[in-house]
Amino acid sequence: MALTTKSFEIFCGTGGVGKTTLATSRALSLAGLGNRVLLVTIDPARRLKDLLGLSGDSIGEVQSVEIEGVKLSALLMSPEKTILRMAEKFQTPDLAHNRIVQILSKPYGGMNEILSLVEMEMQFESGKYDVIVLDTPPGAHFLDFLEGLAKIKSFFDQNFVEIFSYLGQKTAKAGKKVFGFGLINRVISTGVRKLLGYLQNVTGAQFIDDFIEAIQIIYQSKEAFLKGLALQDVLKMKEKCNWFLVTSVEQGKAQEAVEMKSHASSFIHQDHFLVLNKCLEKELESWNAETVKLKNLRDSLLIKEVTLKKRLRESFPTILEFPEIMSLSPLDHIQKLTHKWNSYVPQS
Amino acid sequence: MSKKPHRLYIFTGKGGVGKTTLSRAFARELNNSGHKAVYLTFKNQSLGETHHATTDTVKDGLRMISLDLEDCARGYVEKRLNSKMIAGWIVKAPFFRALINMVPGFSYLIYLGKILELGKDDPNLIVILDAPASGHALTMVESTSNFQKIFESGIVFEDTGKMLARLNDPEYTKIEIISLPSLMSWQEAIELRASLRERTPVDVAITVNNAFYPLVENDFDALPAAIREKALNEKKLIEENASEMQCILPHSLSTSSGGVESELVGSLSKLI
Repeated sequence: MALTTKSFEIFCGTGGVGKTTLATSRALSLAGLGNRVLLVTIDPARRLKDLLGLSGDSIGEVQSVEIEGVKLSALLMSPEKTILRMAEKFQTPDLAHNRIVQILSKPYGGMNEILSLVEMEMQFESGKYDVIVLDTPPGAHFLDFLEGLAKIKSFFDQNFVEIFSYLGQKTAKAGKKVFGFGLINRVISTGVRKLLGYLQNVTGAQFIDDFIEAIQIIYQSKEAFLKGLALQDVLKMKEKCNWFLVTSVEQGKAQEAVEMKSHASSFIHQDHFLVLNKCLEKELESWNAETVKLKNLRDSLLIKEVTLKKRLRESFPTILEFPEIMSLSPLDHIQKLTHKWNSYVPQS
Repeated sequence: MSKKPHRLYIFTGKGGVGKTTLSRAFARELNNSGHKAVYLTFKNQSLGETHHATTDTVKDGLRMISLDLEDCARGYVEKRLNSKMIAGWIVKAPFFRALINMVPGFSYLIYLGKILELGKDDPNLIVILDAPASGHALTMVESTSNFQKIFESGIVFEDTGKMLARLNDPEYTKIEIISLPSLMSWQEAIELRASLRERTPVDVAITVNNAFYPLVENDFDALPAAIREKALNEKKLIEENASEMQCILPHSLSTSSGGVESELVGSLSKLI
């Protein structure tokens, strides 16, 4: 089995399986091998945040961390900061100031996924890193989201955006920023006009005005969004990206992992890994349980783990097993997992 | 005299904590004591190619509803504009689909609207919502107030206002966080509870599921080192935080999820 280093390494999983810890230890392992690594994470637990120096003011900014002599960079996603960086890089200051965009880019506003792609693209383009490790938001949600990306692309292709853009130029010339529904009614193609008419009944006219402004502004920044979206094609390439689908024995849901895979099959390549965390099989097998009660306990745990592995092997070409780490110290945790990652790296 | 149940229970917590099993068992337990509970879940968060279609079925005496985003969106627009044709057209419009997919928060709003409508249509119905993983319960609460700010006026504004009122009504809604007895899972549950409490005044309680140590409490010495350490870590965590835990449920030896579910029925009264 070849676990080679790629430019992008993406960790997906349903949450609570140790995904962030595994991504962090993978990043540390890669950094230990001499790569310049950036770890992008969405929502780590507090202790891990502290370990990575990602608390307080540093949220949304790349931090340099040193863990036991190994240096790497880490970024805790902040959608607001990403929007600011986009506005600056693509010189579209309005993006940072639009009311609707601001609300949507709150931490739980729902733009996390698209902005993490955009952020990853911007960071990679900076040329400062050999590898970017992305710890995705929990849930099959991220996969769902990637599925919907094609639709988002169409958002930028549709004629209506062109029309809004055209209207925007016209009104800008006239020195007006917000334009009324009447003007749109006259100019816009019938389909969109009808739709907006109906929407107005439901949403109120002010929203339509604000919304059109938001669309215009997002459209002005379309280069930034489209570049982020284009990254998806890079992630599909075997030689560019490793996909890790993470699950745990504790979670014990083979079905979910298999579903995640079938869900993902249209945009990840065949060269992916199932990461199975919190394995106890070795300990259980060597446990010579003496009483019936303990035997039952051992057997129930062992049966669960063995059955799970059997089912997973039917669907996944490569399974990387990680032991359950009992230590309560996050540093210890990371180090033990890093060690395990190192053992999967082919010896040169 | 037993406590009067809430109308909406939102079960949340990271995957694999036993959320689905627990919420189903809880719905069964409510039904056994004469209430009318329905187990509700939703699968898709974007208007993609896969259409799951809303289903409403009864399995082993439990009513289960699985909502589909497109169906719910169409239903809402239809109701508001009084036209099936226009609703069908709007939901298929690339503009509308792009908008929903661009902003996943919209999907929660649509689902939530449907859930509250179910509760309104049947004043005795108790909805047990098996919500998606952690962050998403938060997204659900937050997106409602975000959209309230975005719209400012109009029907959607009024509707989200009603949703917000229900979500923030301690008599109507309760949020159940499910955690495992491991340090990481527990800390995440505590952090989630804090974030939820910042956003809503309803009761947010944590249930610890799958506790392993009560089974081996008297046999610590007979355990292999790794498993003993696991059990001891659990014991320590539970002892130190017991007052914050609404309920502690032991690990089940049953190897099928149906078996675990029926074992749980009858032991969940604290969740009410």
